[in-house]
Amino acid sequence: MDVALRNVNMLPVRTWNRLGINDTGLQEKFSDPAPYRGKALAGSLPEGVSLTKKPFPVPDAETGMGKDTADFVESHSNCGVSLCAAAGTKAEKPVVLNYEISEKNPTVIDCNEITAEEGSEITVVMGYRSEGDVPGFHGGLTKLYAGKGAVIHLMQIQLLGDGCTHFDNVGAFAEEGGKIDIVQAELGGKHAFSGVKTRLGGTKSQLNMNAIYLGDHQRSIDINYIAQHTGRKTSSNINVSGALLDESQKTFRGTIDFVRGAKQAVGHENEYNLLFSPKVRNRTAPLILCQEEDVDGQHAASTGRIDAARLFYLMSRGLSEAEAKKLIIEAQFHPVIDRIPDMELKKEVSDFVKGRLSQLESMG
Amino acid sequence: MEKKKTMVKDIDRTIYDIKDKVHPSYEVKEGLTPEIVEEISKTKNDPKWMHDFRLKSLEIYNNLKVPDWGPSLDGLNMNDIVTYIRPDTPMRGNWAQVPDDIKNTFERLGIPEAERKSLAGVGAQYDSEVVYHNVREEVRRQGVVYTDMESAIRDPQYGSMVRDHFMKLVPPTDHKFAALHGAVWSGGSFVYVPPHVKVEIPLQSYFRLNAPGAGQFEHTLIILGEGADLHFIEGCSAPKYNVANLHAGCVELYVAKNAHLRYSTIENWSKNMYNLNTKRALVEEGGNMEWVSGSFGSHVSYLYPMSILNGENSRMEFTGITFAGKGQNLDTGAKVVHAAPHTYSDISTKSISKDGGTCTYRSSVVILPQAYGCKSSVNCESLMLDDRSRSDTIPVMDIQNDDVDVGHEAKIGRISDDAIFYLMSRGMSEEDARAMIVTGFAEPIAKELPVEYAVEMNNLIKLEMEGAIG
Repeated sequence: MDVALRNVNMLPVRTWNRLGINDTGLQEKFSDPAPYRGKALAGSLPEGVSLTKKPFPVPDAETGMGKDTADFVESHSNCGVSLCAAAGTKAEKPVVLNYEISEKNPTVIDCNEITAEEGSEITVVMGYRSEGDVPGFHGGLTKLYAGKGAVIHLMQIQLLGDGCTHFDNVGAFAEEGGKIDIVQAELGGKHAFSGVKTRLGGTKSQLNMNAIYLGDHQRSIDINYIAQHTGRKTSSNINVSGALLDESQKTFRGTIDFVRGAKQAVGHENEYNLLFSPKVRNRTAPLILCQEEDVDGQHAASTGRIDAARLFYLMSRGLSEAEAKKLIIEAQFHPVIDRIPDMELKKEVSDFVKGRLSQLESMG
Repeated sequence: MEKKKTMVKDIDRTIYDIKDKVHPSYEVKEGLTPEIVEEISKTKNDPKWMHDFRLKSLEIYNNLKVPDWGPSLDGLNMNDIVTYIRPDTPMRGNWAQVPDDIKNTFERLGIPEAERKSLAGVGAQYDSEVVYHNVREEVRRQGVVYTDMESAIRDPQYGSMVRDHFMKLVPPTDHKFAALHGAVWSGGSFVYVPPHVKVEIPLQSYFRLNAPGAGQFEHTLIILGEGADLHFIEGCSAPKYNVANLHAGCVELYVAKNAHLRYSTIENWSKNMYNLNTKRALVEEGGNMEWVSGSFGSHVSYLYPMSILNGENSRMEFTGITFAGKGQNLDTGAKVVHAAPHTYSDISTKSISKDGGTCTYRSSVVILPQAYGCKSSVNCESLMLDDRSRSDTIPVMDIQNDDVDVGHEAKIGRISDDAIFYLMSRGMSEEDARAMIVTGFAEPIAKELPVEYAVEMNNLIKLEMEGAIG
């Protein structure tokens, strides 16, 4: 089937059209979605977590990639789970969901909902992989609801091969004292799109968002993160870091939106980009929207090559230039990779990055 | 307990709001038709190329859409705007010959006094035409040309230079209001500074729009020869009417190799003005472009001076402050294109929103593939003085090679309690501490403004201290 999604990853406020950053389109031809063959859920569910199909508590929850993309997943999904952490329970181990693109599953469209009831805590790790460079398409929609005092940890690890187009659309809502903690690793795929919109509705609700990306070959990565503060004393922290190699391109839109009434809210966003080739393209739009006086909003973005002094230091210790560069990129990714709760997956991600960076030998 | 607010006064607009009786010698009908453009061209005795250029621009205008981003322009109806109003006087080189009411207006604004004291030359535009232009003899002797655009177009020596540069940097196809400008432009200044000439004291043009429901479309063209140096000041004001007025000026600046241009603007249009102004500079090798921009007036503003760093080692600095009060939606910022290696840009802005006003900081930094070894730094800070106002920050960076060093920082918020506490522990009263912090917020920009405007700016942030900000 053909898909042509418009208004994808829209900036909440438009700017000059000629910059091409207001939104993007997603056009792809892929095999019709057939029922997913295989089991996404690895192992058993931890105590307190169940597969239930209750109506999602925030029916009008907005997502980072937008309505068209969400509607597409809802009407074409061939897999996905609805998880619920019962009130007051703290799941000891993570729920692991693995979606694999293969010749028998060339199209994976997963629609997931995660509800954490009052005072509960749940960790969900979602892995997206493919069999080598098999052509395929992945589209995902994940909605999160953190009830009063509840905590949701979501890790989305994308390790697809160069034959895949991928998107991940997330919408989250946090009630009073609720906490949303998201880790995203966009490390593979031919074209990767990701959008996360979190509404901090309850007083003292929090968002922690940590993301890494790696662009190599001709990969394009398009990201849209929005932290919307509507509750009082809410806080958001968005950290994005990545590296662009070869002819890869990345667009990052990051918005902190202080809505009137979000008194004493704090929103911080940091972006750190390392560039390794004269043919890369890095576009960034870090927005702060503010209708409330009593807030603290900050952005910082830094883009460039590896600091020459750091490189020189490592080379003076006997590393080749390529080795030193690899070490610096790995070090940059480590704080995020370290958040992965599963040792095996942590190693897999680390090895995936190392594999991707092996080409740096030739750049030395 | 409800916090008390510090009151920040609006700008005292008394002197700007004095209206002269409108008695033009000539004006066109409202709206925009080929007939009106023909009429303006004929009245101004345009050369054929300019006549054709105007009609072509009108055609482009009719084919372009109003921007789908930025503040609403719904209140602006071109059918109600009079695009050309000629005041009842020819241009004078002698202040005494300017008609009394127009002279009094400019004198109230302090323009002739400033000329005597601290300027190398002054141009004054009233509605659609320049009524006064004068440049000091010693500056003229250096070969500096400072005249109105109409005289420059017909000048045997500089006419062809104007033709070669006019709307080449900002073509009418750039956006709808650039096309509008191309069709109905009138007035403005032409400056030429020969190579290696340094103009020690600033030149100033002052634009005054007196007639209600009118548009002002002045064109400023400044050409600096190699190694030349100039400071140009632009001031704008208008009285307040109940109908929309429109300002769609265009500024084109050519900064040659190793030349230095500082362009300062204080925009204080009345709050019924739609200020849709386009400013652009082309900077060649080793050239240095400095923008200083204060936006205090207008109902709606779209203002983003752009620099194209076209030559190696060229640089630009933009320093801006925007103050939006009740009924104002000021969308301001800067654009820079790094088109050559080892170019440098620095953008630093502050904005204050109060009383329901909206400030938007909007910028773009583009580094092209061939522009290696570039540095760019963007820093914007916003202060919100109440929760009825709005302040948005919308910067974009598009980096197309890896040999760059690009940094961006943005901050929004209120005055920190720690800073107040520190100053109070040093013996200051709370009110004085808060006053010092707000003044300090604007200080880095204020010190870049010309002296007379810095005074105006200080009046602007005169604070009535009562309790806390926030």
